[in-house]
This record gives sequence, C-alpha cells and structure tokens, in this order.
Amino acid sequence: MDIFTTFKVAASALEAQRIRLDTISSNIANVETTSTPEGGPYKKKSVYFESTPVSFDQHLQSSIENNVKGVKVARILEDNSPPKKVYNPSHPDADKEGYVAMPNVNVLKEMTDMMSATRSYEANTTTIKSAKRMALKALEIGR
Amino acid sequence: MPPIQQFDTTIHLLQKVLDLRSRNQQVISSNIANAETPGYKSLSFDFEEELKSAMAEGGLRPVATNEKHFAITPSRIDEIKGRITENPDRTGIGDRNSVSVDNEMIKLSENELLYEAAVAMLNKKLSILKYAANDGR
Repeated sequence: MDIFTTFKVAASALEAQRIRLDTISSNIANVETTSTPEGGPYKKKSVYFESTPVSFDQHLQSSIENNVKGVKVARILEDNSPPKKVYNPSHPDADKEGYVAMPNVNVLKEMTDMMSATRSYEANTTTIKSAKRMALKALEIGR
Repeated sequence: MPPIQQFDTTIHLLQKVLDLRSRNQQVISSNIANAETPGYKSLSFDFEEELKSAMAEGGLRPVATNEKHFAITPSRIDEIKGRITENPDRTGIGDRNSVSVDNEMIKLSENELLYEAAVAMLNKKLSILKYAANDGR
C-alpha cells in the first residue's frame, strides 16, 4: 500500500472518461457523415468500461488492495441499429428511391452523455485533490 | 511480547487511524472511478467497530484457552486490518452497478476531515511532548 494508489485509480478513471469524451465528440462531429471508408453512413460509437487491477504487484498483496480497482475502456462498440432514412434525391449518396442513410447518432443523447462524462471526470479530480490534501497534511506531522 | 511503545497508546492509535483512513480513501476512489462500470459492486471499508473493540478495556473479550484458537476480534491495535464488504445492486435497474456517486463524495470528504482531525491531534500530542522535552520553554 502506498499513498499513490488513489492517484493511480483516479488517473485510470480520468483516462477512461477522456476516451469516452473523445468518442462522444467523434459522434457529434460525424452526425451528418453519410459515407465512411468502411462504406455506409457513420455508426455511433460507444465505450465499454471494465474494472481493472491497479498494478501487477497488487496480485501479490492482501485482499484489501486486491479489491481496489481502477477502470479502463475495454473496447469501443459500434451501434449497429439501422440508419435514419432521409428523403433527399439530389444527395450523391441517395439510393434509387431517393433516400439517404444518415448516421444513427442522436445529438441529444450525446449531449447528456457528455454532461455525465464531464461530471465523472470532475468527481475523479476531486478524489485526486482530496488525496493530495491528505498527503500534504501528513507531511505536517511533527512540524 | 507486547509491542515496544515509544510514546503512549494515543499516538499509537492515531497512527493506526491514519493508516486505515488512507486505505478507506483508496476504496472510495475505486468506487468513484468505477461509477459507470457495468456490474461493478460498490465496496465499503469498515474498521470503526474493530478499533472500538481493541480500545475497550475490561469489556467482554474472547479468551484463547487453546493454542489452536485464533483471534475473533483483534485485541491489539496493530492487528486491525479493517473489513471490506461488497454491496450488490438491489434495484435491478440498469447495468447492475451499485455505486452512488453522491454517497461516495460525502464519504470522501468525511474521511478526509477525520484524517485531518487525526493529524491535528497527533500534532498537538507531539507539541506537548516537545514542550515537556524543552523544559517548558
């Protein structure tokens, strides 16, 4: 056990939330992208979180430290729900009937997800600040 | 053999409290980090009861009458390790994650304040010792 475990745990969460924010901004940026290198419209991406042990030497330590876990983005999932069809015959990607397949991104959902990611990020910075204050307080012992 | 005590039990106790509080801090930060991980069960770290039973003198204590007996409750402050309990999600809604971030934030600040209180008491104790060692100057 050391004083930096909290920092490691919170830092892993900050990284995971940042990746989530990157994914959200990618979704919002591509809300009107009708063609991608893989073909078809852009598909909404979402992150999948998984808890992870903080470090290797943790496996060798007691059960309390084994229970303390960080978080990581295990994978980024693509939403395979059907694209929205919009009637626009003059669009280069329109099909025979004149419908264009638009990405299955819902901007409102992305916005609320973004707020949630920001709040989680803030919660983790708060734990880092509090751990730092505690460590500094410990340095004052016996002054 | 009893542990060698350089100072008195108060300092010994405060030392243990600081240790346990920093462990509690880690557990809380793990909960906050995993607030959105599917299937994560929130953890709580308890040591107050153990600390109380180790401090209580003259109360009912288990006695080892056989050498194969092991301690049910820690009788020495040194032996306190704290206990981790998992709180599974009981709502049945969503992703089986049982972390409540607001609760954890309250626990975090409570833990920090109590840590600082222990540091303040330790400082006071040490300054009294210093005062005595310096001939009251």
